[in-house]
Amino acid sequence: MSQPTQTRPGSLVLLGINHNTAPIEVRERLAIPTERLADAARTLVHQPGIREGLILSTCNRVELITLQDNTGEASHPQSKTDLLRFLHEYFAVPAQDIQPHLYEFRESEAVRHLFRVASSLDSMVVGEPQILGQVKEAYTIAREAGAVSTHLEALLQRTFTVAKKIRTETQIGSSSVSIASVAVDLARKIFGSLQGKTVLLVGAGKMSELAARHLIQQGAASILVTNRTLARAEKLAAEFLHSSVTTAVIPFDDLYDQAARADIVITSTGAPQKIFGRSHGQHFLQRRRNRPMFFIDIAVPRDVDPRMNEVEGCFVYDIDDLQQVASANLADRSREAAAAETIVSREVDKYQERLQSRDAVPAIKALQQQAEAIREAELARSAKRLAALTPEQLEAVEALTRSLTAKLLHPQLTALRESTRNKDTDTD
Amino acid sequence: MSLLWLRVAVFLYGIAALAVLPVALYDRPRWRHIAIPATVAAVFFHFVSLAEMLNAAHHRLPVDTHETQAFLGLILALAFLLVYSRYKTVSLGIFVLPICFLLVLIPAFHPGQEYAAFPLFHTGWIFLHIALLLAAYAALLVSLLASVLYLIQERRLKQKSPTISWLPPLETTDQIALRSLLLGLPCMTAGLLIGSLIAQVTIGASYFRDPKILLAFAMWLAYVAMIYIRRHAGLRGRRAVYLSSFVFVVVLAVWAANQFSAVHRFTAP
Repeated sequence: MSQPTQTRPGSLVLLGINHNTAPIEVRERLAIPTERLADAARTLVHQPGIREGLILSTCNRVELITLQDNTGEASHPQSKTDLLRFLHEYFAVPAQDIQPHLYEFRESEAVRHLFRVASSLDSMVVGEPQILGQVKEAYTIAREAGAVSTHLEALLQRTFTVAKKIRTETQIGSSSVSIASVAVDLARKIFGSLQGKTVLLVGAGKMSELAARHLIQQGAASILVTNRTLARAEKLAAEFLHSSVTTAVIPFDDLYDQAARADIVITSTGAPQKIFGRSHGQHFLQRRRNRPMFFIDIAVPRDVDPRMNEVEGCFVYDIDDLQQVASANLADRSREAAAAETIVSREVDKYQERLQSRDAVPAIKALQQQAEAIREAELARSAKRLAALTPEQLEAVEALTRSLTAKLLHPQLTALRESTRNKDTDTD
Repeated sequence: MSLLWLRVAVFLYGIAALAVLPVALYDRPRWRHIAIPATVAAVFFHFVSLAEMLNAAHHRLPVDTHETQAFLGLILALAFLLVYSRYKTVSLGIFVLPICFLLVLIPAFHPGQEYAAFPLFHTGWIFLHIALLLAAYAALLVSLLASVLYLIQERRLKQKSPTISWLPPLETTDQIALRSLLLGLPCMTAGLLIGSLIAQVTIGASYFRDPKILLAFAMWLAYVAMIYIRRHAGLRGRRAVYLSSFVFVVVLAVWAANQFSAVHRFTAP
C-alpha cells in the first residue's frame, strides 16, 4: 500500500531584535508606528516564499513572525536573507547595521519564543502586563490586513491561551515593581477600592505627580495640591485638569486644617524639617473619626516623622520602604518566572504534538477511506451469499468487518503518527 | 436518615475547610471552585438533615447542646457564603469553615437524645427564637474574626512587611465587621423578644428574675453599646478586637449559663 504524501503547513521563522540584543539607537530605526503596521504586514507577506506574516513592534522589540514555504534545510540561510532584505528595504537601514543584533528562531523554538514574549517572560520588566495587549493588537492588525490566516491564527490563539494560563497559574504579574505602583497597591490594601478617595499632594515633585496619576487611574476622585510657592501648586493642579478628577489648590498655611480631608497624602517637598509630626497624625485621625490615612513620603530628607506610623490608623511609607517592597516583589516575580518557564515548555511540546498530529491527518484519512472502500467492495461481492441472513445477522457481519478493518489498520496508523512526529523532531 | 445527610455535610465542610487553604494562603484562586461549591453543598445537606429532623420530631424540638451547635454551624456557613457573595473574599473561610466542621462533627456521630416537648403552637416560635439568637451569635463571631483579620493586616502594613495577599483590604474587613454586627442586632432583639413572650405566656413573670435571663438582657445591652461605640467613635483595629472579644465573652457566658439556669435549660424550657 503506498503511503499518501504529507504536506507540511510551512516553516515557522521568527526574526527580531529586542532590548537585550540591540541598543535603543537601532531599535528606534526599526520601530513601526501602529498606523503603519498593516501596510508593513502586507508588504511582508508579498515577499517571495512568505505565506503568512505578523509584525510585533513595541518600544523594546521588533519581531517578524512568518510562515514560509517549506523548501528544506538548505533554505534556512536564504529565508533569513529574505527577511533581512525586507527590513533593509522597508526601513532603509543598511543590513550590516541590523544583522549583528538579530536573533532568529525556527519551528518549536519560534513557538517557545512567542509564548515567552506574550507571557512577558522576555520583557525588560518580567511580568509587565502591556506586552500581551501589544501582541494582540499586532495580530488583529495583521489579520485585518490579510497577512495572517489559518496557521499563524492557530499559533496566535494558542499563544494568548498560554499567556492567560501563566497569568492565572502563576503570580508573575500580581505584584508591583515600580515605586508608583507599589504605592497604589498599598493604598488598595488599606482602602480597597480607591473610588471616591481624596489625594493630597504636598510639594510639586515629578514623582508625586506620577504616583497621583496612578491613583487617579484607580479611581481617586479628587486631588488637593499644596506648595510653599502657590504658583507651582496651581501649575501642578492644572496638569490634572483634563483628568476625571476634581482638583483644588490649598494655600500652604491651611495645610494642617485641610489635610484631614485627604485619605492619601503624598509629600515631596524639599523642606529640611519634617512637615508632619506624630501629633499631626493623632489630630487628623481624631477629625476623621479614625478613618485610616496613608502617607506616602517620597521626599529626601523626609517630610513625615516616621513615629507617625505608631498612631493607630496612620500608615507612613517613605521612599526606602516603597523601594524595599518593590525589590521584594521583583524577587517574587523571578521565582514565579521559573514556574512560568515550565508551563511554556509544556505548552510548546503540546503545541508541536498537535501540529504533528494535524500533519498526519490527510494520510490517516486516505488510509481509512481506502480500507473502507475495500471492506464495502468485499461485502458487495458476498452480497448474494449473505442474502439469507436476517437484518440482525447482517448488522453483526457489518460490525465484525468494521472491527477487523480498524484492528488491522491500528498498527499502521500508529506508525504513521510516530513517523510524522519523528520526522518533525529531526527537522527541528 | 437525617444523620446520614448530616454526615455528608460534615464531610463536605471538611473538604471546603481544606480547599479554602490554598485559595487563601497560597494564592491559588482555582481552589475556590472546590471550596465554594463544597460549602454550598454542605449547607444544602445540612439543611436537608435539619428539615428531616424537625419533621420527624413534630412538635418536639431537639434541644441538646450539640444539635444547637450544629445549627450554629449552618448559620455560620451561610454567613461565610453571604460574605463571599458580597465581598468576593474567602479569607474568613480559613476560620469559619473549620469551626463549622467541628460544630457539626460531634452531633453527626454522637447525636443527642434529649428533646423538649412544646405545645404545637409554640414549636415554631421556639424555633424562631433559637434561630434568631444563633444568627446574632454567628454575626458576632464573624465580626470578631473580621476584626482579627483587620488587626493582622494592619500590623503587617505598619511593620512594612509584605502584606498578606489573601487578606482583604482594611476597609473591607472593617465593613464586614460592622455590617455583620448591624445585621446581628435585629436578630438578637427579635430573638430575645420572642423568647420573652413565650416565657411570659408559659411561665410568667418569675422567669425574668432568673440570673441567666438577666444576663441575656445584659448581653443585648453590651451588643448595642458595642455597635454604638464602633459607629460613632470609628473604632478599628486593636480596640475594636478588644471590644468584640468582651461582648463575645458575655455571649459565651450567656450560653454557658444554660447549664446552670433553673428556668432556661437545654433539656427543658
